[in-house]
Amino acid sequence: MNFNEPHLDYAGISPLIALTVGICVVLLSAVFKPTKRWAPGLTTIALAATAGLLIWQWDDPKTLITGALRLDDLAISISLISILTAGFCVVLSLRERATEEAGSGEYHSLLLGSVLGMVLLAQATNLVSFFVALETLSIPLYILCATNLRREGSLESGLKYLIVGSIGSATLLYGMAFLYGGTGATNFAGIADGIARNGLDGDPLILIGIAMAAVGLAFKTSIAPFHQWTPDVYQGAPTPITAFMAVATKAAAFAVFLRFFDVALGSQLDDWQPALAALAAISIVVGNVGALGQDSLKRMLGYSGVAQAGYMLGGVVVLSESGTSSLVFYLAAYAFMNLAAFAVIVGRERETIFGDDIRAVRGLGTERPLLAWPLTISMLALAGLPATAGFIGKLYLIEALVEGDYTWLAVFIAIGTMISLAYYLRVVAAMWMRPETEVASGARPVIAGASPEADPVDPDAGSRWYIVGPALLAAAVTVFFGIIPQPLVEFASHAGAALFG
Amino acid sequence: MSVYNSVDGHLFLPVLKTYLPILVFAFLGLTVGGIFAMLNHLLGPKKPARETAASRRQGEPYESGIPVEPTKGLRFGVTFYLIAMLFILFDIEVIFLYPIGVILKDADSVFVLGEMITFVVLLLVAFVYVWRKGALDWR
Amino acid sequence: MSSAILWAPLAFGLLGLFLPQKAVGWWAVLGTAVTLGLAIVAAVGFDTGSSAMQYAVDEPWISGLGVDYSLGIDGLNLFLILLTAVLWVGGVAFAAFREQERAKSFFFLMLVAETATLGAFLAQDLLLFVLFFDLMLVPFYFLFGAWGHDRSGEGGITASAATLKMIVYTLIGSLLMLVAAIATAVLAADGGHLTFSLAALNEHGLGEGSQRWIFWFFAAAFLVKMPAFMLHGWMPDAYRAAPLPALIVFSGVLAKVGAYGFLRVVLPLFPDATVEFQEVILMIALASILYGSVMAFTQTNVRLIAGYSSVAQLGFITAGIFALQADGSDGAVLQMVNHGLVVAPLFVVVALLLERTGTEDISEMGGLALRAPVLAALFLIVVLATLAMPGSANFIGEFYILNGLFEAKIVFAFVAISGVAMSAYYALRLYQQTMHNRKPEGLLSREIGLRDGLILVPLVLCIVGLALYPQVVLERTAPSVAQTVAKVRQNEPPESRLASMSLEEKAEVESGALKIVP
Repeated sequence: MNFNEPHLDYAGISPLIALTVGICVVLLSAVFKPTKRWAPGLTTIALAATAGLLIWQWDDPKTLITGALRLDDLAISISLISILTAGFCVVLSLRERATEEAGSGEYHSLLLGSVLGMVLLAQATNLVSFFVALETLSIPLYILCATNLRREGSLESGLKYLIVGSIGSATLLYGMAFLYGGTGATNFAGIADGIARNGLDGDPLILIGIAMAAVGLAFKTSIAPFHQWTPDVYQGAPTPITAFMAVATKAAAFAVFLRFFDVALGSQLDDWQPALAALAAISIVVGNVGALGQDSLKRMLGYSGVAQAGYMLGGVVVLSESGTSSLVFYLAAYAFMNLAAFAVIVGRERETIFGDDIRAVRGLGTERPLLAWPLTISMLALAGLPATAGFIGKLYLIEALVEGDYTWLAVFIAIGTMISLAYYLRVVAAMWMRPETEVASGARPVIAGASPEADPVDPDAGSRWYIVGPALLAAAVTVFFGIIPQPLVEFASHAGAALFG
Repeated sequence: MSVYNSVDGHLFLPVLKTYLPILVFAFLGLTVGGIFAMLNHLLGPKKPARETAASRRQGEPYESGIPVEPTKGLRFGVTFYLIAMLFILFDIEVIFLYPIGVILKDADSVFVLGEMITFVVLLLVAFVYVWRKGALDWR
Repeated sequence: MSSAILWAPLAFGLLGLFLPQKAVGWWAVLGTAVTLGLAIVAAVGFDTGSSAMQYAVDEPWISGLGVDYSLGIDGLNLFLILLTAVLWVGGVAFAAFREQERAKSFFFLMLVAETATLGAFLAQDLLLFVLFFDLMLVPFYFLFGAWGHDRSGEGGITASAATLKMIVYTLIGSLLMLVAAIATAVLAADGGHLTFSLAALNEHGLGEGSQRWIFWFFAAAFLVKMPAFMLHGWMPDAYRAAPLPALIVFSGVLAKVGAYGFLRVVLPLFPDATVEFQEVILMIALASILYGSVMAFTQTNVRLIAGYSSVAQLGFITAGIFALQADGSDGAVLQMVNHGLVVAPLFVVVALLLERTGTEDISEMGGLALRAPVLAALFLIVVLATLAMPGSANFIGEFYILNGLFEAKIVFAFVAISGVAMSAYYALRLYQQTMHNRKPEGLLSREIGLRDGLILVPLVLCIVGLALYPQVVLERTAPSVAQTVAKVRQNEPPESRLASMSLEEKAEVESGALKIVP
C-alpha cells in the first residue's frame, strides 16, 4: 500500500487549531479550577488569537485540506464578523444567569465551538466540509439556547431550535445528495464541472437538489417562509446568545450561500435567481409586517432580522462582485447595529422587571442616556437613516441590485424600510417621548419575557462597564462607518473580489 | 432532458446499478426472515384449549427471561443513559483509529503519529471532562 | 467656504453639549449667527451674472460607490442658504429667550437640523443630496416628538404619533428617491465609471423610458415634503404637534427643499419626463393652491391657517417651476425666499398670540391691536406680504410666476389667479379675527416685548427690504435658472423657444448676445 503524506498548510488551518485548542483549554479550566472565573478571559484570548491569525492571512488566498476549504478574503471577513460578535457575546455574558446555571466553562467552550463551525463554514468549498461545518455551528447553539436552565422559555427555545434546525439540516443534506447523485462530486467546483460535463443543465435532479439546499440554507438564515422559529427562539434564548445567533449565524450562512451558489451552481443562475429573489421579497414583507405588533424587543429584532435577511439575500441574488461586497458590508454594519441594541436589552433585562418588553426602555432617555443613545442609533441605523452605517449598507445593496437588473427588488427594500420605520421608531419614541398611556410602574406585566424569573437581578446593570461599554462602542462604530465608510467599503470589496476578482 | 427517458442511461442507470447489491440484500433478508416466521407458525405447538398463566407464557417469544412488555411504572436511572451515551460516543470515536491502524506500518511517518496523538488527546480532554464532572460515578 | 457654512452649526452643536444648561441656548444663537455671517460673506462675494458653481468643493467620499463630497453655491441655492441661516437665527433665538426642557438636547438637535438642511441645499452630488434630505427629518422627528404638544379631544393625536405619521409619509418618498438616485447613476454610467456628481449626470442623459419612473420617484419625495395636495396628510397633525421654535424653521425652510429639488435635480436630469408630465404636475400644483386656500379660510386654528396657506403657496411655486419658462422659475425662487420670510414671522406671531390668549383658535381671539399697536403693525406687514400686496416682494414673485404660466399654459394661469384672490381673504381674516373685533373677556392684550421684537423686527425688515429691491435676488438667480430651463427645453424647435423667452432674453437673442442652439 502506498501512503502519500498529505500536504498541510499549517498557516492556513492555524485559526482552526487556535479555536480547537481554545475549546479544550476553556473546558479543562472549568474542570480543574472551577472557582476561578477564567473562562471569559481564556475565550477572549482564543478569539483574539484566531482573529490575529486570520488577519495575518488577509489578501493571501489559499486552498486547504485537498480542496475542502478555501481561505480567502471572503472567508476571513465573514469569520472576523463572527469572531467579533462572539467577543461582544462574551462581554455581555458576564454576570449572565445562563453562564452560572450551565457552567461558565461549558457555556464558553460551546460558544467557541460554534465559532469554529462558523469559521469552517465561511471557508467550506465541499459538500462534506459544508455540512460538517454547519452542524458544528448549529449543535452548540441548540445547547446554548437552553442554557438558561431554570427558565421554561429558554428550554423551549433550545428544543424548538434543535427540531427546526434538524429539519433544515436534513433538507439541506437531502438536496446535497441529489447534487452528488447527479454530478458525482462533492467539491463545489466539481459539481459545476459535473453539471456541464453530464449535460445536466436544468435537469430535474439538479433542480430538486438546488431547491432543497436553498430551503435548508433559508432555515439557517431565517428567510421567510422558513423563519417561523426565529422569534420564538430569539425570545427564549439568553440575550447574549440571541445577539450572537442573530448576527454570526447569519454571516456564516450567507458566506456559504454565496460560495455554494456562485461556485457550484453559477451555471444554473437562470433557475435559482428568480426563486431567491422571490424569497427575498417575501422575507422583506413577512419580516417587516411581523415585527409591527411586537412588544417584546427580542421578538421584534427577530422579525426585523428576517426582513434584514431578505435585504441581504438581494446581495446573493445578483451574483456579482458588487453584490458580494455589499452583502459583506451590510453584514458588518448589521453586526454593529444589532449588537448595540442587544447590549442595551441585556442591561435593561437585568435591572427592570419588564424583561425585554418595550416598557423596559420607556423613559430611558432621561434615566440612562448612555444606554438610550446606543439604542436610538441602532434603531435609526436598522431603519437605514443617513449618517449611520445602515444607510450606506442599504445604498451599497441597492446599487448592486440596480446594477444587476433587479431594480424591483431594490424598490421592495425601500418599501420594506418604510414599514420598518413604524416599529423601529416606536422604540425610539418609547425612550425619548411621552408615553402613549401610563402604566402603573411595578405592575408585573403578563406578556413577553415576563416570567417570574425576569425579576431584576442587578438594579445597576445599566451602568456597568460591560453593558455600557459594548453598547457605546457598537453605536459609535455604526455612526463612524456612516460618516467615514471608506475603510469598511474597502474591506468589503476585498471580500467581493475574492469570489469574483 | 429528463432522467427518466435518458435512453443512453449515462446518469440514471449507473445510479441504479450501484444500488443493486442493496436490493438483493433487502430481498434476501425479507425472504429469509419471512420464511422463519412462517415456519414458527407451521411447526410450533398449537394453542391449548384452556388458557392458563403457563400456557400464555408459552405462547410468547423467548426474551432472555425479561418480560416482553415492561410494566408502565418501570424506570431506568438517568445514570444509565449517561453511561450508555458516553460509551457509544467513545466507542464510535475509537473506530476512527482503525484506518490509521491499517496504514500505520506502511506509512511509517511522524505525521501519522502526530495525527493519532492529536486525535487521542482530543478524546482524552473529553474523557477528563467527563471523569472530573463525575459523570462516571454510579450514584 | 461651503464646508464652513455646512459644518459650523454642527460644530457649535457638539461643543454645546459640554456647556452648562443655562448657557447652551445663547451658544446656539451664536452658532447660528456665525453661520449667518458666513452665508452673508459668501453672498457678498458671489459673482452676480454667472451661472457657474461657486465656492465649489469636490472630494471623493466613498470612492468605491462613486459618491463625492461635493458642495457648491449658485443662483438656485444662494438665497435659500441665506434664508435658512436667517430663519435659524430667529428660531433658535426665539427658543433661547424661553425656558426649554432638556435644553442641551433641544439646541443640539436644532443645530443638527440646520446642518442637514444646509447640506441639502449645498450638495452638488445626487447621493449627498438624498442623504441630507433624509437626514433633515431625524432631528425634527425628535424635536416634534419629544418637545411637541399632545392634542386631546376630537381628532386629537399625541405628539409621537403625529411625528411618526410625518416621518413615514416623508420617508416613503425619500426612500423611493434613494432607489431612483442610484438607478439614475447606474443607468447613466452604463457599465462605466459610476458617479453621482450632478454635473456629470447632467452630461449623460437618461433614456426616456427610465426617466419616466425615476421622475415619479423623485417627484413623490418632493411633493410629500412640500406638501402637495393629496400628499399633505401628515401636515395638519405635525403642525399642531410641533414646538413653535422648531416649526418656525420647519415651515420656513423645509418645504422649500422639495421645490428646490425639482429645480436642482428633476428639471436638469429628467428633461424629457419633465416635459411629458408637465401638465400632471401643474394639475397637482393647482389643486394644492385651491385646496390649500379653501382649507386656510375654513380653519380656525392659527397653525393650520398658516400650514394650509403654505400648501397653497408651495402650489404656486411648483406651478412656477413647471411652467418651464425662465420667468416662472425666477419667480419660484424668489417666492421660496419670500414665503420663508413670511411664514416664519407668522409663526412667531402665533407664539405671541398663544402666550397672550392661551389659545390657538382665532374664534376665541380678538381686539389685540388695541393695546399692542406695534405688534399689530408688524403683523399687518407680514399679512400684507402673505397676500402678495402690490409693493411687496411676494407680489413680484407671484407676478413672475403667473407671467411664466401665462406664456406656457394659459388655462392653468387663469385658475392660479383665483388662488391670489383667496389668499387675500384668508390672510385678512386671520388678521381681523385676532387683532380687530371686540376683545373677549379675560383676554390679556400686551405689547410685544423687547426680546421678541428683536426677532420679529429683523424678519419684517427683511420682508420690507426685499419688497424695496427684489432685483437683488432676481439678478443673481436668473443665470442659473436660465441654464436649468434651457436644459429642459433643449429638445424643442428654436421658434417655440424664442416665443417662450423673457423680454430681456429676446432682446439678447436679437442683438446676437445669446444664441439658440438647435
